[in-house]
Parts: sequence; structure tokens; C-alpha cells
Amino acid sequence: MTDFQLLDAGQDALEQALSPKRKLVPAPVENFYKNYYVRVFAQAILTIWAVLTVTFFLVRQMPGNPIDVLIEQILTQEGISYQEAYDRVAASFNFDPDATLFDQYLDYIRDLLHLDLGTSITSPGTRIIDEIARFLPWTLFAVGSGFLISFVLGVILGMTMAYYRDSALDHAMSLVSSFFTGVPNYIWGLLIIIGPGISWNWFDVGAARGTYDPGLTPGLNAAFIGSAIEHALLPIITYVLATLGSWMLSMKSSTTSVLNDDYVNVAEARGLKDRRIITAYVGRNAMLPLFAQLSISIGFVLGSGVVIEEIFVYWGFGHYLFQAITVRDYTSVQGAVLILSSTFVFSNLFADLTYGLLDPRVRVTGEK
Amino acid sequence: MSQNLPPDVALKVDDLSIVYRTDRGEVKATANVSFALRSGEAMALIGESGSGKTTISLALIRKLPKNALITSGQILYQRNQEVQDVLKLNSRQLREFRWNECAMVFQGAQNAFNPVLKIRKQFEDTAQSHGWRDKAAVRERALSLLQLVRLDPERVYDAYPHELSGGMKQRALLALGVLLSPQVVILDEPTTALDILTQRAIIDVLNDMRRQLDFSIIFISHDLSLAAEMADHVATVYAGEIVELGGVNDVFYQSLHPYTQGLLTSVPTLEHTQDLLQSIPGSPPNLITPPVGCKFHPRCAFADDVCMEDSPPLAVDVGGHLAACWHKDRLIESRKARV
Repeated sequence: MTDFQLLDAGQDALEQALSPKRKLVPAPVENFYKNYYVRVFAQAILTIWAVLTVTFFLVRQMPGNPIDVLIEQILTQEGISYQEAYDRVAASFNFDPDATLFDQYLDYIRDLLHLDLGTSITSPGTRIIDEIARFLPWTLFAVGSGFLISFVLGVILGMTMAYYRDSALDHAMSLVSSFFTGVPNYIWGLLIIIGPGISWNWFDVGAARGTYDPGLTPGLNAAFIGSAIEHALLPIITYVLATLGSWMLSMKSSTTSVLNDDYVNVAEARGLKDRRIITAYVGRNAMLPLFAQLSISIGFVLGSGVVIEEIFVYWGFGHYLFQAITVRDYTSVQGAVLILSSTFVFSNLFADLTYGLLDPRVRVTGEK
Repeated sequence: MSQNLPPDVALKVDDLSIVYRTDRGEVKATANVSFALRSGEAMALIGESGSGKTTISLALIRKLPKNALITSGQILYQRNQEVQDVLKLNSRQLREFRWNECAMVFQGAQNAFNPVLKIRKQFEDTAQSHGWRDKAAVRERALSLLQLVRLDPERVYDAYPHELSGGMKQRALLALGVLLSPQVVILDEPTTALDILTQRAIIDVLNDMRRQLDFSIIFISHDLSLAAEMADHVATVYAGEIVELGGVNDVFYQSLHPYTQGLLTSVPTLEHTQDLLQSIPGSPPNLITPPVGCKFHPRCAFADDVCMEDSPPLAVDVGGHLAACWHKDRLIESRKARV
């Protein structure tokens, strides 16, 4: 071999060693993870797991311990030995208070992987999944309608402001929407109760409690549905008032910028009908940035249900979570947080995946 | 309507003046502009940036910005012996006039298409808004036009705008421009912002289109070579006025206005050497308070007392070659002396 050949051979070997083609992970696994959908789904699951883990340890750091409280109660009431009281409580809770925190955590995760949310600590025998199924639909109904109304109204009003920008109408609406954005939702709730509810007596504050009038059978009958809407009305109005302003302002600013875009100008020069320009050219493009906000807000609005539902004594998911925290019902809190964080994470994921339907520029293509 | 136009005139602009109302005062963007465009003819509006070329063309389809005000003049449009007064169209008539009769291909086609709709949808939108609902027929016409502008018709028709390059978008916009067989197509800087090869392709495409389809062109450019290549007539615009108007050879080889002459000598040619290049001294005038007399006099080598007092009329010269200058003779003399 000449020197050059030697040099070449050495270089080949070096290149082979450094070549990115050498895989540490088998190809199918790597390709599987390269798949966009697999990747974002895995990230979502990881996020939820992280939230659950933090929650698990945090709730146990809260002052007040339901087990000690109960043992104490039994001790003083029945005068039995500490060990007896302890055993009774342990048996009725179906959990071993002696296990280390970490073992409890492993138990919790194992149950979760079997899709078992466990039972409530403070009311033994009540399955958490049943409780959530009982409370969650009410919140979804109230938050969902409030959210939808607020979004649609905000988009329409925001576009109107942009079309009439710098007019008296725009200035008045800007002022109102800034005010709406500035006032927090719990203040809106209190204002509604104090103003129309108590001072002006437009409705009976007491009768507005709960999710439907007592004595009605839940089902597809007019009386029940009417009553359900009536009871949800105040929370819905509160959600709308608290979020409408920011939708209006966002829509106004994005519409204003879209109106200056060349393609809108060209669309007018093309002699397109106004309605077509407003919907497909201005509206659709102006809504793109709002759509990204939408998914984030869904999570926040669901979370804000805790305060709003307490104010109106609306027995929904937020009320359930609040009660669970109050009595330090660890397992129920964990169950509720699981639902809350999953909603948040998956609504974001859903927005990510569907954004491409609205904006072809970010569409994820199979190849390339 | 009662106006009569010679049968071969497609568009006639009379004494058009436009001001922009701004905080600093009224900008006299266009003053007493008159010209006529024959059907099938290509006319170039040349001049510096800010000279009012775009304002004139926007007025033709009434697409001026909100702060613009047309202070005088009329725009007459004729097709099949029917005359319309463009400035008097109501909003429905105007919408139908746009693109059907007069299409405008805007400067910078990069953002001319709605980014969230396929090219196909945007062709269909245009057709539908003008009462043409047969999608199959629209498709057939669109594909043949895309073919004409040398694009791969099937691929481009089903593409989103972001999937096309700048030159492709410009050509797709040209195809869209003639979709409804307009009589007049306005091209605002059709080749600006494109690389030199793409510019060449656009010019070839435009020439093809003119050969195969029957329409008049008004194009706006500061690219004199493009004007020389494409135009039948050339109008030089300075400070909102047409200062010279004539056949392309007349204007380019026997210019009668010092400003046009200045533009021509500031462009390199293949024949002349670099040292003959001259720029026009000074800068365009402030259009809020334009100079009295001839607006070009502060920058003009031939200017004297007359020029500072009286504005020269756009007087007819040999063979319909017009120029607004008091000293055409001296200009011709000086050109002879140089050669």
C-alpha cells in the first residue's frame, strides 16, 4: 500500500465510525418516535404524569391530615386503644397508612395504569370516577356554552371594531372591552349576585343554587332542560363577561392587520362579493392567532370554575374539587387534577393537530 | 350614457386630479392627467417612485386609499360601443366592473393570494363573484391560462400559495388577471422584486398572452428597458403630471421633454459607454407645495424665466407626440450636438 492508500483507508474507517448512519436505536423504534403524532402524544402523557406526581406529593404536604383527624375522633368517642382505632381506619380506607409515601405513590400509579382512580378517603366506598362523572358534565355544559358564546361574540364584535376602526363606535367598544378584560371573573360573579340578584331582585339568589330544581328527574324532558339552563345561566354570563373583552381586543388587532394585507386589497380589486371577503379572506386569516389562544383558555376557564361555581353554588366540577381540597380528600383531589390537567394538555394537543386544517402553511405532511 | 368615444378607444382619462389629505396638508398626487388607451394597445407609465404612476392606475379601478380625493376629471370606459363613466359607478356596478372589465396585477404578487386558500379556490371565487358558477368550465379556462403563463397547470391549480415560488405566484396572478377576459389589464411593476431570469420569463409570458388574448395593457414601471420592449405608447409622469406622451420610438429616440431625456441618459445601454451616463440632479418636488410654473424647472438644465412662471401645456407635436415643455427646440438641438 502506498501512503496515500493508507491514508484513504484510515479516513474511510474514521468516516464509518463517525457516520450518522450508525444507529444506536433500532430503526423501527426510531421511525415510530419520528412520527409526529406519536411524539406529541407521548409528550402529552409525560406532561400529565409530571403534573400528577407533583400533585400527589403536594396535597400530602397540606396542613391537616384526614386520617389523623379520623383516628383522633374514634379515639375520643369510643375510648378504644390507638392501635384498634388505627386498624379500623386503615381497613375502612382500604389503604395502608403505614406504607411509605413512595410505596403509596407506586400503588397510585399502578391503579391509574389499570384506569382505576381509587375511592374517596373521606367517604369510603365512593368511587372517584363516579363522582367525576356526576359533577363534570355540568361544568362542561356551563363552561362550554359560556366559552362558545364569548368566542363567537368576541370574533364578531372584534371584526366590527376593526372594520370601523377609529370611529366613535370603535372607541366606545374598545373602552368597554378593556374594562371587561380588566375585571376578574370572581368580581363579575359577585357583581351579578349583589346587583341584579340582591339589590334589584331580578332573580331569586337562593333558588339559583344547584344545577337544577329539586324534584325534577334528569332526562330529556322540557322541565329538566329548562331548569338546567336556568341554573347554568349565571355562571355562563360570568364566563362570557370575563372572557369576551380579550377575544374582542385580540380579534380587533388581528383583523386590523389582516385588512392591511395585500390579498385583501387584491380580493377587492377582483370584485369579490363583500361577504366572501369578510368570511374567507379577512375572517379566516384573522382567526388564526385566536385559535392558538383558544386551547390555552379552555384550560384556564375550566380551572376558574372552582371560584365561579363556589360563588353561585353551582354543583359542578370546580365545586367538587374545592370540596375535596377543603376536607383534604387526597385521592379525590388527585382524580380531579388528573381530569383538569388532561383537559388542558389534550385541548392543546387537539389545537396543535387541527391548526393545520385552518392554516395550510403549518400542515404536517407525511413525507419530507 | 351620452358620452361618445371613438370606437377603438377602450379607456379615456380626462383632466384627472387627485389629492391625498394628510396631516401636513394636501398632497397633489395627480394633476390634470389626460390620456387615451386604444383597445389592444400597451401603454407604459414611466417615472420615478412617488411620481403618481400608481395613483393614476388605482384611480382607474377606484381602489384609491381612503384619504384620497378625486378633485376633477372623468374616466370613461368603452366596450362594445357601450360607454361607462367609471367615477359614477355605484358600488354594485363597480364590483362588476373590477376584474371583469379592468383587472389589476399589483406590485409584489408575493402576498396577492390568500394564504389559506388553494389557487383553485381563488380562481373559483373570482369567477363566482362575477356570476360564473360552472366550476368545470372555470377549471378548464384556468388550466389553459396557467399553461399559457408556462406553469404546470394541474400542480399549480391545486397548490397553496406558499407552495409556489415568487415568480410562479406572479405568473399565476397574471393568469388570474385575464380569467374573466378583461379588456384592460393594469400591471403595476410586474417584474420588480424578481430576479433577472424570472423577469425575462414574465416578459416572455406577457408577450405570449398579448398575442393569444385580446386585451390592452397599462403598465407602470421605472424599468425603461421593459417599457421599450413591451409598450406601444409611453407616458412619462413627473410630479403627478404627464409631461410627455407618444409612441414608444418617438419618446425613446426623439424625446421632447428634458425629464424623459434625463431618465434615458441615466440608464446604461449596450451601445454607449459608461461615461455618458448622467443622473438627473436634485430630487422630486414636494407635492404639498409644488414649484410654480413648470414643476421640473428646479432640476432642468434648460430652465429660464418662462419656466418659473408659466406651466407649459401638453402641446401636440408631430404625429401625436406630446410634451409639456417650453424649450423642445433647444432640447432637440442639444441632442444633435451630442451625437
